[in-house]
Amino acid sequence: MEGILFPHGVPEGREGLREYRARGGYEALARFITSSPEKIIQQITDAGLRGRGGAGFPTGKKWFFTRDAPDQPRYLVMNGGEDEPGSKKDRVLMENLPHLVIEGVILGAYAIGAVKAYLYINANYQAATKSITDALAEAKSAGYWGLNILGSGFDLDIELVAAPHNYVAGEDTAALEVIEGRTPLPRQKPPFPVTVGLFGKPTSVNNVETLANVAPILLRGPDGYRKFGTPDSPGTMIFSLNDDVNYPGVYELPFGTPLRHLIESCGGGMKDGKKIKAIMPAAPSSAYLSPDKLDTPLEPNAMREAGSSLGCGVVRLVGERTCIVEEVLRIAEFFTVESCGQCPACRMETNTLSMLIKKVQQGQGGRPILEQFGKVLAFNKGKGFCNLIAMPGPPIESALNLFPDDFAAHLATGKCPAN
Amino acid sequence: MRICLVCQNIDCKSRGSEQLMREFQKRVAARGLTDVEVKPYMCFGACQEGPNIVLYPEKNWYAKVKVEDLDEITDHLAGGPHVQRLDTIDSSLKELIYQLLDTGIL
Repeated sequence: MEGILFPHGVPEGREGLREYRARGGYEALARFITSSPEKIIQQITDAGLRGRGGAGFPTGKKWFFTRDAPDQPRYLVMNGGEDEPGSKKDRVLMENLPHLVIEGVILGAYAIGAVKAYLYINANYQAATKSITDALAEAKSAGYWGLNILGSGFDLDIELVAAPHNYVAGEDTAALEVIEGRTPLPRQKPPFPVTVGLFGKPTSVNNVETLANVAPILLRGPDGYRKFGTPDSPGTMIFSLNDDVNYPGVYELPFGTPLRHLIESCGGGMKDGKKIKAIMPAAPSSAYLSPDKLDTPLEPNAMREAGSSLGCGVVRLVGERTCIVEEVLRIAEFFTVESCGQCPACRMETNTLSMLIKKVQQGQGGRPILEQFGKVLAFNKGKGFCNLIAMPGPPIESALNLFPDDFAAHLATGKCPAN
Repeated sequence: MRICLVCQNIDCKSRGSEQLMREFQKRVAARGLTDVEVKPYMCFGACQEGPNIVLYPEKNWYAKVKVEDLDEITDHLAGGPHVQRLDTIDSSLKELIYQLLDTGIL
């Protein structure tokens, strides 16, 4: 299937400057660097591009707000922290298509009027960091960034920053803290980075995949881009499949493709011929879906209607004979460990949820313990500086709804009914 | 057994909750309150009011406790009056934590 980012399938090697140019690379930059920045923002808005980091905020709107903020200077931050367990799309893009990413960075910076772009890249991604570093050198030599880009009079500096490898370090404002030389602790919002961001100045923080879509949109035009996907969710998205399927990897699919296609045609179905017990479309923080939802379109609205979410596209499968209590215990403990600890509500919630599931797993406490999950989650709803506090809820509550027998068996016997 | 839970998360530790718990254990022992156990609790979600001490099953919650307050709290455990000035926590949070404790999670 033809893609937008991977027109000929997932590239196997790194694409250098010459190869990128041979297929139209940097043409969008050459064409739009002399047009008005507002025109780029309008094209991105008309194309309906939404952030691919998980939140799905409209990119054109984010750029408009940043450009419209009265304070100067402005900054663009490429968020390549990619700390979502199982996500590898940004790594693949940075490693194999570094110029596609960098062209998006330069165009984004021009659109918002940024003087500098920071490329925030997961410190564990050594190959991606090298690929981007090399591509930056090539692109600078070619005059694509630096002073007076392609004779336009627009200057842009670009700097790499290593992102610590922990979950909250991928949160937008935690990234800003790291770039400013501090530990990755999310900031209280509002104010949002578009008005008060890096060094207190207007900043657009954009995910790697989001930026990779920019040059293709400008070359194809919004209508060309909208040939992919659905009217509400134009374009494609890169999904990550892991070891629970026969063919793990990243797959670019148009929004609206049935979940079944990703799992069966792309992933080759569950490993070892297992039957699917549940699907988590946005691991680890989305609600589980039962197998009868396999034909749900991979599209945010459809996923919401089905009771889950799409996040950044890490699709995880739970096979038959897997205990859901053990599954959600692992998830709850992950969020307990990854909570940065600065918000009391998050600290209490994540610790308490882990403790409660541990009690269920060990068969301690009666049925009243099951009623506490909803109360703890409801009490802490909307609290905390970042969204981590909202993440354990969907997996836990959906597991309780879909698999009450697993919880009841654990409470009754302290043993896993699946084993 | 009656239980006194002293929060021991990083925030409350920075406010002296480890020393507070040790002192509390000594005073409870010195008063001969053999039916009372003073033990740590991970987090009540009231760090800004910490260190916190929750008495259970009495369901009394004392916040911003200092070592100087421990004699009064120990008196309360021994049948003395409730220490009203340390009872400042929001009732909805109290209710949530008391319900959790009622499920037998300790």
